[in-house]
Amino acid sequence: MPDLNMKILVVDDFSTMRRIIKNLLKQIGYVNIDEAEDGADAYSKIENGGYGFIISDWNMPNMDGLELLGKIRSNDELKHLPLLMVTAEAEKEKVISAIQAGVNNYIVKPFTAEILKEKMDKVFETIGK
Amino acid sequence: MPDEMEEIISEFITEAVESLDKIEPLFVELEQKGQDQDMLNDIFRSMHTIKGAAGFLGFQPIVDLAHSAENIMKKLRDGEIPLNKQLMDALLKSVDMLRSLLEQLKEKGSVEEDVSLLVKELETALSASILVENNVEDAPSSAKSVMPAEQETKTSDLAENSTPVTAGEKHEHSRISAEEPKKTPETVQTTESAIKQAQTSSDAALQSKEVESGQKTKETALNLRVDVSRIDKVMDLTGEVVLIRNRLLNISTSYQQKYGRDRYTETLMETVSFFNRVTSDLQVAVMKMRMQPIKKVFTKFQRLVRDISASVNKEVELQIFGEGTEVDKSVIEHIGDPMTHILRNSIDHGLETTDERIAKGKPPKGRVVINTYQKGNQIIIEVTDDGKGIDIDKLKKKAVEKGLLTEDETLSMSDEAATNIIFMPGFSTMETATELSGRGVGMDVVKTNISLLNGYIDILTQKDTGTTFKICIPLTLAIIQALMVEDSGTRYAIPLTPIEETLKVSKQEIDNITGQDVIVIRDRVCPVFELSSLLGTDFNGKVESDSKYLIVFSTGDKRFCVTVDRLLGQEEIVIKTLDGMDTAASYVMGATITGEGKVVLILDVTGISRNYLDIVKV
Repeated sequence: MPDLNMKILVVDDFSTMRRIIKNLLKQIGYVNIDEAEDGADAYSKIENGGYGFIISDWNMPNMDGLELLGKIRSNDELKHLPLLMVTAEAEKEKVISAIQAGVNNYIVKPFTAEILKEKMDKVFETIGK
Repeated sequence: MPDEMEEIISEFITEAVESLDKIEPLFVELEQKGQDQDMLNDIFRSMHTIKGAAGFLGFQPIVDLAHSAENIMKKLRDGEIPLNKQLMDALLKSVDMLRSLLEQLKEKGSVEEDVSLLVKELETALSASILVENNVEDAPSSAKSVMPAEQETKTSDLAENSTPVTAGEKHEHSRISAEEPKKTPETVQTTESAIKQAQTSSDAALQSKEVESGQKTKETALNLRVDVSRIDKVMDLTGEVVLIRNRLLNISTSYQQKYGRDRYTETLMETVSFFNRVTSDLQVAVMKMRMQPIKKVFTKFQRLVRDISASVNKEVELQIFGEGTEVDKSVIEHIGDPMTHILRNSIDHGLETTDERIAKGKPPKGRVVINTYQKGNQIIIEVTDDGKGIDIDKLKKKAVEKGLLTEDETLSMSDEAATNIIFMPGFSTMETATELSGRGVGMDVVKTNISLLNGYIDILTQKDTGTTFKICIPLTLAIIQALMVEDSGTRYAIPLTPIEETLKVSKQEIDNITGQDVIVIRDRVCPVFELSSLLGTDFNGKVESDSKYLIVFSTGDKRFCVTVDRLLGQEEIVIKTLDGMDTAASYVMGATITGEGKVVLILDVTGISRNYLDIVKV
């Protein structure tokens, strides 16, 4: 059972989406949720530390989810931070590049709280928590 | 959590509409400037995001429509198909449809519209474009087509291998493959290049965009989305504070008069004067909170002009200046309709056809310019066309034919008064109402809407040179500076904005020409009205005196004077609307509470000037 007090960062440029995901996370039981509106915003928040999990949209202005992932993975202090990519386009080539960049898992919009929980638990499982 | 859900849905509607507002002008720009990667991507992303959020909320028609539009945008962005008119029309239609779906959602809380027809139209436009593209690039595409098949098997292998597959995952994969058959070979074809592109661009972007985007985030993080009702509440309360401040000022002045240099009175005066200053600052701050750049309204005009000019077969260029000018939120909400009417009118009636223009030696492309600026505490919006100008004789003739005016009336009418005929209810200059201008409502609506904003509109026209519609609206609507006057024993507040000056004149200075009182002010003849006779309060027994106070009003290019018994001074007043009152007929636009706690009516000068046209046809 993962720590429900873990600080989670939800990254999406559309504030309604952030709210929806936050809502789902709350339904799962997570209480400590923060938001960022694009990759750049997210990265500056992540750099300050304290986050245990990142849920990021893919297509965003300024810095998209894949770039964010790349930056996190190339930073020695942050590279183990789990990231779940949210995508609406279930296109394989996109998933491949995310996997190559080191994404922990991905989830296709729309999803329910159950699917999100399942995805997150699986990530925690594989990183040996 | 029903409330939470409601809030999310209303946030979704607002955000989705904002996205559409943002991308709509891009379409027109794209059409003019050709392919632009950034714009294409912006539009793509908006469609994509709207689809994503709508999916969560279960608004299937929105999902379907946004999905089809997104598909096209993706192909445009990736350069697989070029932009053509058929695609553009279908895309613009889908933007319109999305808007109406969102509107429906806002009103009814659900969307049940059948969008399959439009989705089909989008798909047809897309496949037609693909066909064209294929024919053009026949040879190279067949050469490439061997590659994608390989690529596809490779990628799917990788996907299966590198993700730990569980029940949940499988479910997802099956969803992916369910979408697969829909794909055309073209989609797969670009797979390889898309990956490469994404990788190289992301690498470069990592370094170069860092500084820039960092700054941008800081800027946007300073914005806070606040419910309008909360701001309005603050606005309301500020209005109350202003009223209390006015009363306090009054009371403290009486104290000072009574107790003079008493220590406590002095402290009180000091505090009250400080409170006075802070209240004024607070007022300005709240006013600014409600101000938004007028650009918000103007974004849709490029599109509108495109549609109108296409339907009347005229070439039109729209230029917009001063779109950064900030105006009150209520202006943003109410200026759109009248502006749309004016633009329609300018293009449909104002501009000549291309042939006529060429014959006149004008550039074939008509020009419409919107210029917005702040002048004092007024916002001025001008819509100017370089068309044929208003034919005043034709206007008069038409008005007589329609029975709106008698022939005698038109003969004695000034040109300026005559141009205002187009604002008369039931008037339309075209022989037959066209699809555009004749939508059952005419230019009279323009005038009504603008006076609702306490503004006024003027027309300046010159034959063969063009016409300008000039709209003047006060900066803020809720709190205004007013001149307090007394007439026939009653107090009134008059908004300061249209007042040009006040004069004390002797009775002899007022002349009477053919039944109308007039006065000559600095060589200009100006009609004079008695306030008591305008309001029908002259039964109260007039104060007969040799001198009168004259208030000179200037609304646009019209000037007129109103006489009152006494001028009481300037006060900041809060407008409270009066329910159940025909404000147009009574020259009263609302009421306010004075510093002494008395209810005082606020006079509607625009109303007086509106009717002034009927009263005196000088």
